Amino acid sequence: MVKILSFFLLLCISLGASEFDKNCFDCHSQDFKFHIIMNKYTLKFSSEKRIKEAMFDYLREPSLDKSILPLEYIQKFGLKEKSPLDDKTLREMIDIYYEKFNLQSKLF
Amino acid sequence: MYRGEKKSIFYVLGLYLSSTLLLITTIFVSYYYYERDQFEHSEKDLLRKYTLLLTQQLSTLNENSSQKYKYPRFDEFESAIYDIDKNLIFSTNRDINITNFKDSFFIKESNSYLLSPLTPYYFGAAFIIIEKKSKNLNILNNLIFIAIVTIIITLITSIFLVNLVLKPMRENIKLLDNFIKDTTHELNTPITAILTNIETINSSSCDEKTLRKLQRIKIASQSISNIYEDLVYLLLNHKTSTQNIDLNLREMLHQRVEYFTNMATAKNIDLLLDAKEDIDFKADKKKMQRLIDNLLSNAIKYSYKSTNIRVVLNETTLSIEDEGKGMSEQEVKKIFTRYLRFDKSQGGFGMGYSIIKAIADEYEIKIDIVSKETHGTKVTLSW
Repeated sequence: MVKILSFFLLLCISLGASEFDKNCFDCHSQDFKFHIIMNKYTLKFSSEKRIKEAMFDYLREPSLDKSILPLEYIQKFGLKEKSPLDDKTLREMIDIYYEKFNLQSKLF
Repeated sequence: MYRGEKKSIFYVLGLYLSSTLLLITTIFVSYYYYERDQFEHSEKDLLRKYTLLLTQQLSTLNENSSQKYKYPRFDEFESAIYDIDKNLIFSTNRDINITNFKDSFFIKESNSYLLSPLTPYYFGAAFIIIEKKSKNLNILNNLIFIAIVTIIITLITSIFLVNLVLKPMRENIKLLDNFIKDTTHELNTPITAILTNIETINSSSCDEKTLRKLQRIKIASQSISNIYEDLVYLLLNHKTSTQNIDLNLREMLHQRVEYFTNMATAKNIDLLLDAKEDIDFKADKKKMQRLIDNLLSNAIKYSYKSTNIRVVLNETTLSIEDEGKGMSEQEVKKIFTRYLRFDKSQGGFGMGYSIIKAIADEYEIKIDIVSKETHGTKVTLSW
């Protein structure tokens, strides 16, 4: 029973991870500093709920004032394009991203 | 110790002690709160330093990029961090459980806590809470001990002071007491001389006018004699030994009524004695005489002219009823107060009822007074 459950759990994670790979690495390369973005969001928004909400807002409608990156960076590379993902998928991807990179769970 | 001195001492002591206590309490309470404020202030300062230390460490930790972050731990204090929505992120002590984010500093179960906001939110931490074992504020026990010592010292000083304050008054009263005692003693001989000589005058050898004059002198002397006896009772009451013997109340009443007949006749009052049976009562003869004499002389004094005074003796009661001016209810309530006289037109010192009460109390005799203004008073003694 435990084995079946563990297998099922691994399957879910790997499926979720592959979805994340598919939806995110399309645009961001493998060496994209995901953890730096998470750190910046954490420093600014503190709680999981607020971080996720801010990310969703930005990816849905990217704007200068919503961006957490320095102005110089945006001026150089420009604003990110609007995410082509639907709301549900986008939220799921943000959940996976938070799960993988959040700082709070790394504290011991 | 003269009468009332104890009361004065208690009053002055009470006043002195209560004001001192009030002062001590005010000083001590203020001191306690001052110390507590100081204590809290120093605790807060220390906790602020710890918060700063932890913030610096979190900042340094946040700058590193790593798969795992070791939360900074210190021996001196425990800490916890909460996100902006007040969810716990990490705690070094499971017992830190903060629900109230309003107070920045508080002491709970001998621990001091300081809650500080944090920006930017390192690891999402919007609040840092520092927990430290608080030092015990041990001044309360010391204060209680000092208060007790101070009260004892105050008590001793106040007794000394009261004695000092009362000394001149005591000396004056002693002087007055001695004067009264001496005067009373000096009165005895002339009164006895007058009364004895009146008794020995042969009434048949006097004309009617002289006889009336002699009668008046006799009544006046008897009045003085009564006052003298009252004074002796009051002054020497505690110094004379009591000799309780079986008294025949009927005989005694006959004697006393006869003694007061002259006084009563002067006001045309009839003293009607109804004492058929021999009643024995164990008491001191002089005291019982004072009791009865005072009741009779009061009855005569406050009776209207040409009335009757009924003296009735039963097995367990003795009642004396006059037809005089009577008393109001308030006056009856206050009647046993010494030196209190309602009717200043009558002679006397207002000692009568206080003597009656003292003697009645000594022999467990109950006194009932029924009085109606302008109708008269009935005093019933029951045993």
